[in-house]
Amino acid sequence: MNPAENPRKSVRIIAAIAKNTFRESIRDRILYNLVVFALLITASAVLLGELTNGQQARTIVNLGTNAILLFGTFIAIFVGVGLVAKEIEKRTVYSIFAKPVGRWEFVTGKYIGLCLTLLVNTVVMAIGVCLALLYVNGTELIVPAISAIVLIYFELLITTAIAILFSSFSTPTLAALFTLLIFIIGHLSSSLRDLGAALGTLFVGLLLEFLYYVLPNLAVFSFRTEAANGFLPPVSVIFGAAAYAIIYACAILIIAIAIFSRRNFK
Amino acid sequence: MKGQRVLIRYTVFSALAAALLASAALIGDRIDRARPTLPDAITETDLAFQGRRLRGLALGAEGLIADWYWIQSLQYIGGKLLSYQGEINLDDLRPLKPRLLNQYLENATDLDPHFYAAYAYGAVVLPAIDSDQAIALIKKGIENNPDKWRFYQYLGYIYWRRGEYQSASEAYARGAALPGAPRFMLEMAAAMKSRGGERETARAIYLNLYENSPDAQTRENARLRVLEIDANQQLEAINERLAKAREQSGSCPVLGAAVNSLFRSIRLPANNPIRIDAAGEIVDPSGTPYRFDTVRCRLAISPASKIPKPIE
Repeated sequence: MNPAENPRKSVRIIAAIAKNTFRESIRDRILYNLVVFALLITASAVLLGELTNGQQARTIVNLGTNAILLFGTFIAIFVGVGLVAKEIEKRTVYSIFAKPVGRWEFVTGKYIGLCLTLLVNTVVMAIGVCLALLYVNGTELIVPAISAIVLIYFELLITTAIAILFSSFSTPTLAALFTLLIFIIGHLSSSLRDLGAALGTLFVGLLLEFLYYVLPNLAVFSFRTEAANGFLPPVSVIFGAAAYAIIYACAILIIAIAIFSRRNFK
Repeated sequence: MKGQRVLIRYTVFSALAAALLASAALIGDRIDRARPTLPDAITETDLAFQGRRLRGLALGAEGLIADWYWIQSLQYIGGKLLSYQGEINLDDLRPLKPRLLNQYLENATDLDPHFYAAYAYGAVVLPAIDSDQAIALIKKGIENNPDKWRFYQYLGYIYWRRGEYQSASEAYARGAALPGAPRFMLEMAAAMKSRGGERETARAIYLNLYENSPDAQTRENARLRVLEIDANQQLEAINERLAKAREQSGSCPVLGAAVNSLFRSIRLPANNPIRIDAAGEIVDPSGTPYRFDTVRCRLAISPASKIPKPIE
């Protein structure tokens, strides 16, 4: 279906798929990770006072924000790679595409649904971090922690898009592995450019420079260590990161849609 | 009948699993106990990872790893203090051989260059081990946080402990020039030049550390130092009176109401009065009665007191 044909109808279809994906995630007990997170953050708030010699607030921010990224990334990867594969495996994809649903609408709806799940997950965990900070009288770190968590959510938007891209042409296991590797490389991407400059060979230098720009630069979303010290990211960094996440995720989704549109389910 | 059999089977399996797990735990415990205790030289190998090399490779979790090194440094010193058999002298912790402390703090501050508590802890504890390491750590802190006056306060403190009053004065003066620096910094810059070795200067330094340090351990140490300075000031005055009384009467006076009234007349600064508790005993600034050495006719800090005692 051409998106220009009836934009309102497309929006309705995407919303319906997104809603179903969100419901499915809840039904799959994805949000159970919140229990683990709640236990972790409660234990930190209670026990860290002794262990950290009065530095529990900064440790709660470090522990909380890193746990939010870890849980969020795992959900994005392991749920993301299964979104399309599960529909194919269960053969529900046939009944979906028997209706007037375009493949681009299907992929976009799945993506938005998972992003919604991640949003709920991230918001609940952020509330947990804030409550723990209130408990240990670390209120001055609440705003920096929230801004670091906002940046983490932007990062998760990219990770989810990459997981869906790989799942559009690969098996779930390989897709999860590839996404995890991209997540790691994405955090080290600045090293690629440094390596290219250090090697001195023109071809390798250009190749690494190309990879640096093509692979996601996830380090732009890292503000966790700074937040634990009470630093706030400049507004330009937050808006820049939001723009980067949206543009990059859109680009990846377009590629995923292009691949998925040509996929034969027989 | 069938249900009963199932129940018996589950009970047997559960008991068997519990017994096996308990045996495994016991064996594990035995192995742990049988393991020979290795000397420090072997167990305290240099840290495998260096913070500055990990930086940028920790996927943004540098702060969390820095926290881990921070906790390790606290556990490390805590363990050393607990396991040490001799008398602990807060001014010289070298007998404890805590050679990894600097590396832990270096790693923590390499991974998180703004980790103020780690710098502050190093500034207070490291001078008792190796003051050069303490100076290097604080200078790194100044480099990474050039607008924070507190780092100069710690640098001044370390130089003061080394008896390098000119360098201490310069450090305080440089800190005093930074935005937000309190008047105390300027006062200390002047005090270091004119009366660096005096008791009042020491008291002001420790009082400020107690009021402004970020970690509980440093605050507690500074509080004890203030109490120690106050106690020494009291003891000097009291023992001088006792010596005079002994000289006049030919014997050491028996402590009691009459002598206490004599001590009450001693004039000390308003923030350090001599106190007598409900039982009529003279107590140190922490509230513990002083020990009376009848042979030497002197009061001294009681072993029961938390105040650091001079090593005899």
